[in-house]
Amino acid sequence: MAFNYDKYLRTDKLPTLWCWGCGDGVILKSIIRAIDKMGWDMNDVCVVAGIGCSGRTSSYIDCNTVHTTHGRAIAYATGIKLANPDKHVIVVTGDGDGLAIGGNHTIHGCRRNIDLNHIVINNFIYGLTNSQTSPTTPKGMWTVTAQYGNVDPTFDAAKLADAAGASFVARESVLDPKKMEKVFVEGFKHKGYSFFDIFSNCHINLGRKNKMGEAKQTLDWIDSRIISKKKFDALSDEEKVDKFPLGVLKKDEEALEYCEAYSKVIEAAQNKTKVQL
Amino acid sequence: MSNMVAPKNTSVWVDIHRCKACDVCVSMCPAGVLAMAPAPNSILGSMIEVVHPEACIGCRDCELHCPDFAIYVAERGEFKFARITDEAKQRAEAVKNNHYRKLSA
Repeated sequence: MAFNYDKYLRTDKLPTLWCWGCGDGVILKSIIRAIDKMGWDMNDVCVVAGIGCSGRTSSYIDCNTVHTTHGRAIAYATGIKLANPDKHVIVVTGDGDGLAIGGNHTIHGCRRNIDLNHIVINNFIYGLTNSQTSPTTPKGMWTVTAQYGNVDPTFDAAKLADAAGASFVARESVLDPKKMEKVFVEGFKHKGYSFFDIFSNCHINLGRKNKMGEAKQTLDWIDSRIISKKKFDALSDEEKVDKFPLGVLKKDEEALEYCEAYSKVIEAAQNKTKVQL
Repeated sequence: MSNMVAPKNTSVWVDIHRCKACDVCVSMCPAGVLAMAPAPNSILGSMIEVVHPEACIGCRDCELHCPDFAIYVAERGEFKFARITDEAKQRAEAVKNNHYRKLSA
């Protein structure tokens, strides 16, 4: 018997709306395997997604799901987590959703260090709306809004989350679903903001016009940009350009989690005193 | 619902109602088990076929990389998986160079 994904899926919604070969499905599978490994009851899990191809994740997984407005998934998830601190909240956004229109919510979620699991499906483009430049589109690439090549400097999502104060930051790619699952499990166990920057392929909207039209070619291109953290640290500054380290990049067990901090506010209000941190 | 229980004496099986023929599993298979066969009624004009089920080594790379929950591999114990051979490696390479299409016999 193979791993029973159907137990965790709304099978009447399948096949998925994603294009053939899209990495989003691989990430969804890894999320499901990680949830299975954690042994969570699906009634205790809430998946919150924004808008974009990544937003479809909440439609396929069979637990409590919220498909929210563009970029605001973290804001909804913060409310859900504060009202139910004992439940598990997973937020799935894309690079455009989580870093552009929702960038504001992402950095403040990180700053508060609330116990959310934020998965950014980073495919370097706005895929759903047909190839507009996203904050992670590499320089020189063709997009419909940069037809002579993109000149915008790019975000390193993991560095952004690290600087904003997330206590767990990791990066993986769809090329290694087993490792991705392992990183998800480690992040799900972590108490605090777990930020995952997952590189995914969009060969339809990014690949086609950038001369890598098939899923495999786009995966090879991602492969050329990633490197394990250990090898990355040994590189010179020039070699580090356009290379991204994989693995757990930051883990801080000491940082105060926001739900715990807020419970002190509740306590103080009931006793009519001030918070003691 | 897909069939999760391994059919008897089967290493790999596919739910063709979910498969979108993206070639990813074929590109991942190290043993040349899978290939694309022509299928005029499919959207991309081809459909996955388990051409050499006996050569499967049970690495599960196809199942892990399938984005569409469409391909399944039996557990060890349910099927006696083969060891990888040079012939299988060459076949895998030949299928990849043949645009993931089934090799003509």
